[in-house]
Amino acid sequence: MKFIKKSFLVLSLLFAFSLSSFSANACTVKVGDFDWDSANIHTAIGSYIMEHGYGCDVEVTKGSTNPILAALIDNQLDIIFEHWTDNNVALIDPELASGNLVDLGINTPASEQAFFVDRATSEAYGITSVDDLKKPGVWELFKDPEDPSKGRITSCISGWTCYTINLVKIMEYGLGDLYTNFDPGSGGALDAAIAGAFAKNQPIVTYYWTPTSLMGKPEIDMVRLTEPAYDKACWDAMMVVVNKIKADGPDAYEPSCANEYKDMALTKLATGKFAADNADIIAFADAYTITTSVVNNMLAYYVDESGGDMEATAMHYLENHSEWEAWVPADVAAKVKSTL
Amino acid sequence: MVKKTLMKKISKNIIYLFYLVLFGILIIVSYNSSKRKPDSVSELYTDFSWLINWPKWLDTPFMHWINTGWRGFIADYGLIFDAIGYGLLRGYTELKNVIVQAPWPIVILGVIGITYVISGRKLGTTIFVGFCTFFIGFLNPRFWDKAIETTTMVVIGILICVVIGIPIGIAMSRSERVRNIILPILDTMQVIPAFCYLIPGIILFGLGAIPAIISIFIYACPPLIRLTDLGIRLVDKEIIEAAESFGASKKQKLWGVQIPLALPNIMQGINQCTMMALAMVVIASMIGTRGLGDEVLLGLQQLNVGAALEAGLAIVLLAIVLDRMTQAYGEKIQERTQPQKKKN
Repeated sequence: MKFIKKSFLVLSLLFAFSLSSFSANACTVKVGDFDWDSANIHTAIGSYIMEHGYGCDVEVTKGSTNPILAALIDNQLDIIFEHWTDNNVALIDPELASGNLVDLGINTPASEQAFFVDRATSEAYGITSVDDLKKPGVWELFKDPEDPSKGRITSCISGWTCYTINLVKIMEYGLGDLYTNFDPGSGGALDAAIAGAFAKNQPIVTYYWTPTSLMGKPEIDMVRLTEPAYDKACWDAMMVVVNKIKADGPDAYEPSCANEYKDMALTKLATGKFAADNADIIAFADAYTITTSVVNNMLAYYVDESGGDMEATAMHYLENHSEWEAWVPADVAAKVKSTL
Repeated sequence: MVKKTLMKKISKNIIYLFYLVLFGILIIVSYNSSKRKPDSVSELYTDFSWLINWPKWLDTPFMHWINTGWRGFIADYGLIFDAIGYGLLRGYTELKNVIVQAPWPIVILGVIGITYVISGRKLGTTIFVGFCTFFIGFLNPRFWDKAIETTTMVVIGILICVVIGIPIGIAMSRSERVRNIILPILDTMQVIPAFCYLIPGIILFGLGAIPAIISIFIYACPPLIRLTDLGIRLVDKEIIEAAESFGASKKQKLWGVQIPLALPNIMQGINQCTMMALAMVVIASMIGTRGLGDEVLLGLQQLNVGAALEAGLAIVLLAIVLDRMTQAYGEKIQERTQPQKKKN
């Protein structure tokens, strides 16, 4: 009886083990992911193709801009699928020049970053540009409960470059005495603050960007505020001040220049070492590109239909679009399609 | 006697029956509401993939129920909460501004004075507390105002915990039934991830100190409640009997015997409450509360290890100051009721 019991136990353990697959994969890829959803969707789609098509072991590490970029520069990560180029030029350009990092081309052709006001307030008070924020009485609509002498512009979190950029912009547009550049603490808190304002029909002026799932939601209807047109010389002068403030603190502010965020193309980055060893994966990553409208649609799907399941959203994209098959050789495409 | 055991047996079996019925309801509800049903029942015998990964058709749409209910709740009551949140935040900001704008030597002297009085004129504790308070400013001049913001928030949170938690602890110690109802609630409060109730808090009350104080209450209150309950239960039965034999009413028993004897445990509870409240400070900064947690977050996001540790050390000093003050007060009360014989 005891022997039967023991052998049954051993057999069932063996059975359980055989059900799981042992993977001895030729390639391991360490992907860097950020804490906003457009980066998450590109990482999800890219990782899915690498895992099921190329048979690689994919490890995804999530974090905020600065830690992930630092890890990439240090070669602790191999590849990132979305990079907001213009915000991090001073940090990344030397690495590209030295060959430590390799630019893998465009990921999304056009992204927006701007200040937005909810449509109801914009139409009621005629606020369509940043200058309109200076009109008498407008700042009182957005009163900051922590400092009622000023309005509140909900800005970026302090870990993102755009926090310091927005700080300089607010000073340059003459809004420094009327508004505070408010740091909401985390990406989730920023989204919750905007969603809360719309749920309670409160006025809100905030920084935001596309492609995102929040902008794809029907109830979030915001008007983009126009700023002075983009000019490279002006932007570079502003970035000098931005970098000074990043190093020495807000007192290092000096007047320079400011204009709108360029509708920049988002790129991808990989380490030079990884690119040299994995030419096939790099060829795929290089070819990877999705338009802004498709990304917005995928993000809306992510939030509304998949219930927060990023893998299901990636699979939804791969099932319903065929442009990705051109990025990979035919056998890889066939392997990926068989798992959908 | 026979009737009582029979009643117990029936009530136990009813609970088992209840679990069975609940299980059946869950399966039926999840099957009917799932979008990915198997095409036919025979598929279950042929394709065994549903044994390896939990099948998609055994999934209760909890998320959808909560989301629908939540949207309805905000549509009806959102503005009321917004007004409450705005009012509370104004009050908090005014209080904080009063202390921030006071010259810092006056604040330090105030802290030393308060410690001296509530500790019963203990010199050692007072000097230690004064030194720690002073050192916060030495760590980094920016930290002084931030420390005051954090202290205001934490002290308000602890006060709410004490005012609500100790009566609940006393109620729990009196009745086994109340205890059985509240214990799972305490477990939930301590374990549920902070952001689960912070995001609704932000949507209702706005970013800033109010959701943070709510999160301090939810996280820091359970240890206080448990230790109060434990302290009162641990009071010697014979002493209670003696009090009853002297004709003490319930109120006199509580205030004259049980609470003074449970005081060591209650003070330990307040100590734990303080520590856990300060542990929530960094999470509070993630929802836009300014303070020392803000500095830690900044250091983390900009990979400045020194800055993050400096801010962390300031939080530790704050914890030491608050803890010493409350413990000194507790010891003074205990000495009144249980005077220690001084060694000559």
